[in-house]
Amino acid sequence: MKSFYGDLPEKGSLLSSGIPSVEDLDGVLPPADARKKGPVAVLECFQEIPCDPCGYACKFGAIKEFSDVNDLPVIDWTKCTGCGQCVAACPGLAIFVVDETYSPEECLIAMPHEFLPLPERDQVVLLYDREGRHVGEGTVHRVVRGKDKIATPVVWVRAPKALGYVARALGLPEREGGSRN
Amino acid sequence: MEYDLIVVGGGPAGLSGALKAAQNGVRVALIDRQEQLGGQLVKQTHKFFGWSQRYAGVRGIEIGRRLRDAVCAEPRITVFAGTEALGYYPDNSLLIESPSGVSRITAKTFLFATGAQERMLLFRGNDLPGVYGAGAVQTLMNVYGVRPGRSVLMVGSGNIGLIVSYQLRQAGVTVRAIVEALPQVGGYAVHASKVRRLGIPILTRHSIKEAHGTECVEGATIWEVDDKFRGIPGTEKDLDVDVICLATGLTPLGDLLWQAGVSMTYVPELGGFVPIYDENMETERPGIFVAGDAAGIEEASTAMLCGEIAGLSVAAKIGKIPRQRFEEERNALAQELSALRSGPLSNKVRTGYERIRALVQGRRGR
Amino acid sequence: MRRSVEEKSSLEQRNVIVCRCEDVTLEEVRRAIAQGATTLDEIKRLLRAGMGPCQGRTCRELLARELAAHLGKPVGEIMPPTFRPPAKPVKLGLVSRMVEDVSSGDGDSSPEGGESR
Repeated sequence: MKSFYGDLPEKGSLLSSGIPSVEDLDGVLPPADARKKGPVAVLECFQEIPCDPCGYACKFGAIKEFSDVNDLPVIDWTKCTGCGQCVAACPGLAIFVVDETYSPEECLIAMPHEFLPLPERDQVVLLYDREGRHVGEGTVHRVVRGKDKIATPVVWVRAPKALGYVARALGLPEREGGSRN
Repeated sequence: MEYDLIVVGGGPAGLSGALKAAQNGVRVALIDRQEQLGGQLVKQTHKFFGWSQRYAGVRGIEIGRRLRDAVCAEPRITVFAGTEALGYYPDNSLLIESPSGVSRITAKTFLFATGAQERMLLFRGNDLPGVYGAGAVQTLMNVYGVRPGRSVLMVGSGNIGLIVSYQLRQAGVTVRAIVEALPQVGGYAVHASKVRRLGIPILTRHSIKEAHGTECVEGATIWEVDDKFRGIPGTEKDLDVDVICLATGLTPLGDLLWQAGVSMTYVPELGGFVPIYDENMETERPGIFVAGDAAGIEEASTAMLCGEIAGLSVAAKIGKIPRQRFEEERNALAQELSALRSGPLSNKVRTGYERIRALVQGRRGR
Repeated sequence: MRRSVEEKSSLEQRNVIVCRCEDVTLEEVRRAIAQGATTLDEIKRLLRAGMGPCQGRTCRELLARELAAHLGKPVGEIMPPTFRPPAKPVKLGLVSRMVEDVSSGDGDSSPEGGESR
């Protein structure tokens, strides 16, 4: 169905297809006041697996301490600064940052991106939704490479505002080697 | 050279077991078939889940490097790399084949951390060049830097199938589809979402029907399957692929355990025949311990913990550490283990381990 | 009509490999089972399935499933064949040296000793 998150199944699709549903995403959508304030983390983590690095990565205590390692992350929106540390830390590549306050027309999206070559600042990139469909273009705002060469790079992209909760992957316009499917 | 413990297998379980034992005063011989220790970790470029105090967020290759460095720095461990264990003999000796020849080594205790074997599938053309196990594809790409082909059909959507699909794309290879016979994705949702974002379709209730080609794979036909995994005629689709990658599960590798006469039992939840062992990872043959996939198919984080428990148990068994300290440390490790296994996605392995525990308790009660 | 279906399915089975090391097909396995083989050891002796470089690691489970389906038993009741050393094929030269070691009373030579030979 057409939704705020793009064209996605209404519910129940995560386990049968790997694509989160509108219902799943509604459950992790930051509240309106947090979104109006600036950049904010979107934790697209829907399944209880033993995993806790996001909690350790957050320097602001916004992601609450896990009482059980299988817990889903719980975020305190008043403390989240949208810094993006958790985006690079998440082993499941399931965290994004969206800033809908960037400009009247554009938002910023931070995405984990483990593909070489990395895009460069101000480069135009293709944006894809959660099913890998091309949904538009964005411009690279910043590339955060991390401390060492095996850290997960985080690419911040300026994109049309409507894509803030739709685009979840990026690619270079001229792809090296294998094409998208 | 006299050893207290021979560890067979230098993967996450064997390395952790050897380290834990040696740190507690045990003289260890560690044997691995490969020149480079680490087992499957040497090709695992994804980040691990689990605890941040352990290895969560660290890539498998890095975990392998850390364990390897620690083992090599440990004076009580003698490493026999590039060495195959050929046979276990009742006089507590192991026949080994190293690059320099065949010999026998003996020890009071053994830890078999021999890992797993990939499952094969029956379909027409299943021996054509281009049909690979997922492990081989991962080795080609991540160890040798070789692309297996240009276009891949992945069979199986467990974590291995999903992760290898992602890594194929990182290497610039097209993944046409991931087929899964079950109605649901087998692996973690985060891994599935990761490959979906790249545009790779996951087709549940689908399987491979046949591979095409004369000299090598030139294509594949997939089809829908029913609840009993039988193909449904009329639903066939042809895919343009030159690689068929099988990620259809693992089964414990227990050849040496069978040779050693360890009691084995069939536990489908753990991947097949597994040894019967107690909370110390000791089998019903005293002095023979197990850990890792050989003791039940799971994953590397739990394999490392099981290896540590086994190593600690060996130290206690041969009197290197006092009983009380052993029990405290073992209980702490067991607690970590059960926390890792407490999530809803571990239901299956929990059932499997409960079966083994019930067997052990039943026998003790007799 | 029925016959042609059988012929077709036999053709299909001829191109399905069960034991890659020894090139044993599904057709051969099913024929052996139809002729009365009821254990993995029997199939192994009849067809050499499981006697190649991987020593049955790949085909053992596939064969067990075939047997289980035919005998109407759970696959866990199909016992694996007997496991004996060596766990993988070794060169005859190595075997002859081992025999020499044993006959000269040097059976449990240390690995260091092994290196010098």
